[in-house]
Amino acid sequence: MKNRLKSLRAEQGWSQAQLGERLDVSRQTINAIERGKYDPSLPLAFKIAKLFDYKIEDVFIPDEPDT
Amino acid sequence: MERVHSKEEEKKNMITTSITWASVGLLNAYAFGFSLVIGLLGGALFGAATGFRVSRRPPKMRFPWYLFRQIMNAVTFFVLTSAIYAYFLDETLNQSQKFWATIPPMLGIIVLIITVGRAIASLDELQRRIQTEAIALAFAGTAIFVGVYALFQFAGLDEVNIGVVFIVMALMWLLTKMWTMWKYR
Repeated sequence: MKNRLKSLRAEQGWSQAQLGERLDVSRQTINAIERGKYDPSLPLAFKIAKLFDYKIEDVFIPDEPDT
Repeated sequence: MERVHSKEEEKKNMITTSITWASVGLLNAYAFGFSLVIGLLGGALFGAATGFRVSRRPPKMRFPWYLFRQIMNAVTFFVLTSAIYAYFLDETLNQSQKFWATIPPMLGIIVLIITVGRAIASLDELQRRIQTEAIALAFAGTAIFVGVYALFQFAGLDEVNIGVVFIVMALMWLLTKMWTMWKYR
């Protein structure tokens, strides 16, 4: 799953650690989500979307299914 | 683990790790027959240095400091109960008394497991996943080690102390944790 977390964070001028503090997760978790290594749980995904005032599908973009 | 912001936290960490390592030093002094004072002081100094280092440069896995200190206290409790067990085994006790002597370290292990469990539960979702994957891999790795060693044992290798299994499991946990942390980098 792709996401826009890095660009949204950059728009706010926050560091990964600052965003982590706002979401109550570690900097490593933010880094792993941004790099697409880890897909967050649904509650965390909603929390992220709410923090940036977006809908969840505007932040997280599912991969296209193989045809 | 959050970075230390106050000298107060650093001091508390240093005192806790000093006590833990002093107890480890004491147990080693008793087990290997060197001076108890040297064991105690050497352990305390090493513990203070460890506490200082960990406070200044915390590892990536983020436990709140109070849980870090609780783990250290649980280790101290486990080490001291093991020392009591070792002392009683050296005494001339009958079989039933020896069984009773196994209760203190058992309590120590239970306290240690509960404390580590609480610390893992305090982590965020990715870190919990890393720990869970690491523990599962360590468990599987230890099972393979024990199985393979059993085959070697049938072929004539010496019997291994059960304590070695725990050391292998702990080492595997450490290695697999490093690997899973690297995987999610």
